Amino acid sequence: MDRPKPPTGREVDACLELLDRQLVDSGGDQAGKVDDLELTELEDGSFVVTAILSGPGALGPRLGGRLGMAVAALFERLHPDTDADPARIPFGSVKDLGSHITLSRSRDHLDVNRMEHWVRDRVIARIPGAGDAPE
Amino acid sequence: MRKYLEVTLGVLTAIGGFVDIGDLVANAEVGARFRWNLAWVVVVGVVGIVLFAEMSGRVATLTERGTFDLVRERLGPRFALGNLLASFFVTFLTLVAEVAGIALALELATSVNHLLLLPTCGVLVWIVIWKVKFDSMERVFGLLGLALVVFAVAAWRLGPDWSAVLHQATHPGVPDGEGTPTYWYYAIALFGAAMTPYEVFFFSSGAVEEGWDRTDLMVNRANVLVGFPLGGALSLAIMTCAAVVFAPRGITVDHLSQVALPVAATLGRLGLVVVLIGFFAATFGAALETGLSSGYTVAQYFGWPWGKRYRPVDAARFHAVILVAILLAVAVGLTTVDPIKVTEYSIVFSAVALPLTYFPILVVANDPQYMGDRVNSRLTNALASVYLVVIVVAATAAIPLMIATKAGM
Repeated sequence: MDRPKPPTGREVDACLELLDRQLVDSGGDQAGKVDDLELTELEDGSFVVTAILSGPGALGPRLGGRLGMAVAALFERLHPDTDADPARIPFGSVKDLGSHITLSRSRDHLDVNRMEHWVRDRVIARIPGAGDAPE
Repeated sequence: MRKYLEVTLGVLTAIGGFVDIGDLVANAEVGARFRWNLAWVVVVGVVGIVLFAEMSGRVATLTERGTFDLVRERLGPRFALGNLLASFFVTFLTLVAEVAGIALALELATSVNHLLLLPTCGVLVWIVIWKVKFDSMERVFGLLGLALVVFAVAAWRLGPDWSAVLHQATHPGVPDGEGTPTYWYYAIALFGAAMTPYEVFFFSSGAVEEGWDRTDLMVNRANVLVGFPLGGALSLAIMTCAAVVFAPRGITVDHLSQVALPVAATLGRLGLVVVLIGFFAATFGAALETGLSSGYTVAQYFGWPWGKRYRPVDAARFHAVILVAILLAVAVGLTTVDPIKVTEYSIVFSAVALPLTYFPILVVANDPQYMGDRVNSRLTNALASVYLVVIVVAATAAIPLMIATKAGM
């Protein structure tokens, strides 16, 4: 993998200003949490954030302990791929950092919404009136 | 007219905190046993919930972040998960009690056994959450709940010696025949009910559902300043009715039908009809509040799409959580568990949830990155810090007192 160039953007406290923040997609809808971050080492030995990791595959290891392992194991078991990695959102898709993290893509194109789609298609969409806006 | 309707979110939220099924009975019980010696706790509770609900509403109005979003963001995944489990359990236990409470209210009106009515009540709550728009829901149940004002009318008609009432309320003591631990157990129960965490979950999420923005900060303030004092006043009115009618006769209160008696005795059949409408609206409103809050907390912890402003297909996991919670609540209710006992025990779990919920709100309400120039004033911070201490003390004392007094026996 090519080592990225040293960053030109602003510096943020990743723990305070990125981790556990709400992700909001290009349409203004909620699209998961920043459950973990992917860091890549630069030539000079420092690190930059290259991706946001989201969903149970990333949350489990951060929870730690037996519960965290159970969450991660459940994620791998339920994931269609045999060797499942946590859902990854390249940092290039991040449009803005604030009280939430705004993405430049729609949540329909994100890997993190697999579970949402499953619940929607298998459960919620089958109940009458699921596609109607409340009146 | 529209202007006046804008405070119904605060009114509905307060109904769920101050006059839901457990509190309707608890307020009357406290009045019957302690007369006005615990009235001060309601006032302390009102000020506390006004403070923190205003903060949570202000954060939600400026940033669209619901309270549990902040809890996760400031406490990290582990502590927030602990809070989520405790808060969800409190909210769920209350939901069980409220669904059973709607059935009890309908039983009083129809004489049909409440267990037969319970599944229908569960379905009705779910249909309202599934189909009805947030602001229509909030208006209908917020306004109908105002029927409980009939307790204030009854209290006025009963005509206690108001100067004596005021004297006792401002010079409280432990009445003869009651132990000091029991007195404090009920004090914490009343305080915990006033500050119960699902009120801020519901209120802050409601602010997002309503689409409040920067220009609505006054609306936020009006909602908390009208809603919670009104809830506290209703609570005191019920207490007063019981103190006048039951206390001199040594009658203790443990059933919903007894709560209605003082009104029926003073205002007759019409008064009773209005009380029953109020019971129905208050329990139904509280069921909506706790049902929705169970979805809000889980969805905000995990970052899922949430809210009634979306079609159910666009917030699938949120609606799935609510559906499962209501189904389970009906199942637990059908085990003939006493809904009033259920809400009493839920206080134990709020002991864990309260500090872990109110602390992150206070921190974020002071963060300029979220709030810009709308951070807390010094006075708000001073008061809120005092309340955090009180909350921690009450939370620590709750469980030992509950064991020592056998839940206020």
